[in-house]
Amino acid sequence: MKIINAKLSIIALILLVLITAGCTDTSEEGTPEYINIGLVAPLSGGASDVGNDMKQAAVLAVEEINADGGVYVKEYGVKIPLKLVEGDTQTSPTEGVTAVERLITSENVVVLVGGFSSGVTLANQVPAAGKVPYIITGASSSQVTRRTEIDTSYFFHYCSTTDDYSQPILQFFVDELKPMVAADRDLKLALIYRDDAYGKGVIESSVAYIEDNSMPIELVAKEKYPTDETDFHTYLTKIAEAKPDAVYTVGFVKDTSSVYIQGQRDVGLNTLYMAVECNEDPAFYELLGEWGDGQLLESKFAPYAAEYTELMGPYKEAYLAKWDEMPGMMGADTYDGIYLAASAIERAGSLDRTQVRDAIKQTNEQEMLILLEGGNITFDEYNEISPIIFIEQMFWDEETEELKPVIILPDSLKEQDFVLPDNYEIGG
Amino acid sequence: MTEITTLLQIFIWGLTAGCIYVLMAVGLNMIFGVMKVVNFAHGEIMMLGAFASFGLYYYTGLNPYFLMLFSMVIIGVFGVIIERFGFRKVLGTGKLNEIFLSLGLIYILQNAAVKLWTDDIRKINSPYSSMTLDLGVLNITYDRIIAIAFTALILISLYLFLIRTDVGRALRATSQNHEAAMLMGVNVNHMYMLSFGIGSALAASAGTVHAILSPFNPYMGTIPGIMAFTVIIIGGLGSIPGAIIAGLMLGLVQNFTIFYFGGAWKEAVAFVLLIIVLVIRPTGIFGEEH
Repeated sequence: MKIINAKLSIIALILLVLITAGCTDTSEEGTPEYINIGLVAPLSGGASDVGNDMKQAAVLAVEEINADGGVYVKEYGVKIPLKLVEGDTQTSPTEGVTAVERLITSENVVVLVGGFSSGVTLANQVPAAGKVPYIITGASSSQVTRRTEIDTSYFFHYCSTTDDYSQPILQFFVDELKPMVAADRDLKLALIYRDDAYGKGVIESSVAYIEDNSMPIELVAKEKYPTDETDFHTYLTKIAEAKPDAVYTVGFVKDTSSVYIQGQRDVGLNTLYMAVECNEDPAFYELLGEWGDGQLLESKFAPYAAEYTELMGPYKEAYLAKWDEMPGMMGADTYDGIYLAASAIERAGSLDRTQVRDAIKQTNEQEMLILLEGGNITFDEYNEISPIIFIEQMFWDEETEELKPVIILPDSLKEQDFVLPDNYEIGG
Repeated sequence: MTEITTLLQIFIWGLTAGCIYVLMAVGLNMIFGVMKVVNFAHGEIMMLGAFASFGLYYYTGLNPYFLMLFSMVIIGVFGVIIERFGFRKVLGTGKLNEIFLSLGLIYILQNAAVKLWTDDIRKINSPYSSMTLDLGVLNITYDRIIAIAFTALILISLYLFLIRTDVGRALRATSQNHEAAMLMGVNVNHMYMLSFGIGSALAASAGTVHAILSPFNPYMGTIPGIMAFTVIIIGGLGSIPGAIIAGLMLGLVQNFTIFYFGGAWKEAVAFVLLIIVLVIRPTGIFGEEH
C-alpha cells in the first residue's frame, strides 16, 4: 500500500511539474505573459541567407506590434506582447520536423509563420496538421495546402505558388520576347532547374501551362542539377548547343547567380536569363554584379525598384536601420505573415488555435508589402492568396557600380519597357 | 552530332573540376599515407582555406592568387595545430576514435565558420574574371588556365620536395615504415605534423580555387570532401600519383556524364567508377597490397 502511495505521489509530482512548466509564460491571474509565435525558417544550412532575412523581418514585425503593447485578446481583456520563438529547419526536411514539433509541444506556439523550400515545408507541416495554424510564407509548391493525405485546414499559403509565377513568366516570353527575336517561329526556351520538389514543381507547372495553352514555345533543353551544384559549365554547354532564345532558371541565389555568370562569362551563352522570385535578395544583386545587366527576375516584392506601395518606404527604412542591410522578398512575406497572425489572434479574441485558424481563414484586410489582386488579403478555397507578380529587368550602373532592377511588368507598375540585353544573341 | 569544340569545352570544364579534386585528394593522401589517419573534415579544411583567402582579399584587395599562398600557410599551420592537439591524442587508440574526432571536427569547423563569417554567400572577385584566351576553336577564361597551371605547379613543387629534400625523404620513409624511419633517426611526430600541415595547405589551395570560380558559404566543403575520399580510394590509398590520375579522371567522367546522361548522374557516376575500379583492382589503380 505504501509503495502504491509513493508511486501516486511521484506521478502527482511529475504532473504538477509538467503543468507548471507549461504555464511559465502565464501570470498569476491566468493571463499569458506572452503569445508565442513560432518562426519556421532555415536559420542554418544551405538556405540560411534567406532564413536570416525571414528572421530579421519577423523580429521587426514583432517589435513594431509590441511597441504598441502587443495584441489585444478579448478573452483576457488586455494587450499581450508577442514572443517570437525560432524553429531552425537547418534547410533539412528531417530537422524541420524536429523544429516544428518542438515549437508545438515545448513552446506551445499559437501560430506558426514561415516555412521556406517546398521539400522542407512539405515535411515539417506534418506535425502541425490539424493542430496549429501555419502561415506558410516561403514554399511555392501548391501541394502545401492541396495535399490530401493530411489535414490541411490549418495551413495558409501566404506566397505565390509555382502556378502563380509560371503564367506571367511564360506570357512574358511569348508577348514581349518572341516578337523581338522569333516573330516567324516558335520561341526556343531552355530550362535549368534544381533537382528537388521546388524545381520540379515549377518546371512541371510551366510545361503544363505551355501545353494546356498551346503556347508558341519549343522546349529545346531541360537540365536538372543536384541541389548542391556549384559548377554549371557542362549543363550550360549542353544548353548552348540547343541554341535557345532564352534560359529559364529555377534555383536559389547561389545556383541562379552562378548560372547567369558562368553562362555568359565562361560558356558564351549570351542569351536572356530569367530567374524566379526567391532570388529577390540583396545577395543575388551583389553576386551577379555586371553579369546581371539586362537580365530578368520574376518577383512579387521589389525593394530595389519603385516604391509602389505606401508601406515600402517605412519598411525599407526600418529594416535598414535595424539590420544595416536591404530586405529580401521572403522576409517581406514573413513580415506580412506575422501581422496577419497578430490580426487573426485579435479577431479571434482568444489564443485557442482552432479559433485563430478560423480567424485567419476569414481575413479580409488591406494588403501590406505583398500586392494582391483586389487589394485585400483573402484566402480562397485552397487557403491561397492571389499575389501580383512582377517581372523586373536589371541594369548595371557604371557610376555607382551597382545592379538595380526596374519593373517591366505588369503594366500597372511598369517603370520602363523591356529591352534586349546588349550582349544578346538570337538562338535558333 | 556533337561538335568537337563542345567536347573540348567539356574536357576543359572536367579538367578544372578535376584539379580541385586532385588538390583535395593529394592532401588527404599525404595525411593518410604518413599517419594512416582518415580525416573526414578535410572538406571543412578546404572551406576554411576559402574563407582565409576571402578574408585576406576583403581586407587587402590584393590579387587572390597571390593571397592563396598566405592562406595556404595559415591553414597549414592550423592543420598542424589540429594534428598536435587533436589527432595526435587519439592516434593508436583505435580507428573509431580517429573517425569520430574527424566527424566532430566537421560540425565544429562549420559552426565556427558560420559564427565568424555568417552563412552569407561570398565570392572572391578575380581580376581576370572577364578575360578569355582565344584558342581559335574555343575560348578559355584566364581563371581556368590559372587554376590548371596552379595545380600543376603545386604538384611539381610537392614532387620535388618529396624527392629532392631530406625532409621529403623522411616523410616518404615514415609513410613506408614508421618503425624503420624512427630507427633511422626520423622524428615521426614531426613528420605527422608536417604531413597534416601540407595536406591542409593543399586543401586551402583547392578551397581558394573553388571560391574564385564559384560562390561559396560555410557548407561548401561537404561534397568536395566526399569526392576526395572517392578519388583516393579509386587511385589507391596513400598513392599520390593515384590521387592525381583518379582526380582528373573523376572530373572528366562527371562532366561528360552530365553532358550525355544529365546532372542526376553526376554524383552516382563517381561511385559507379569506384565500384568498377575496385572490382578490377581492389587496392585502387595505384594502391599497394599490404
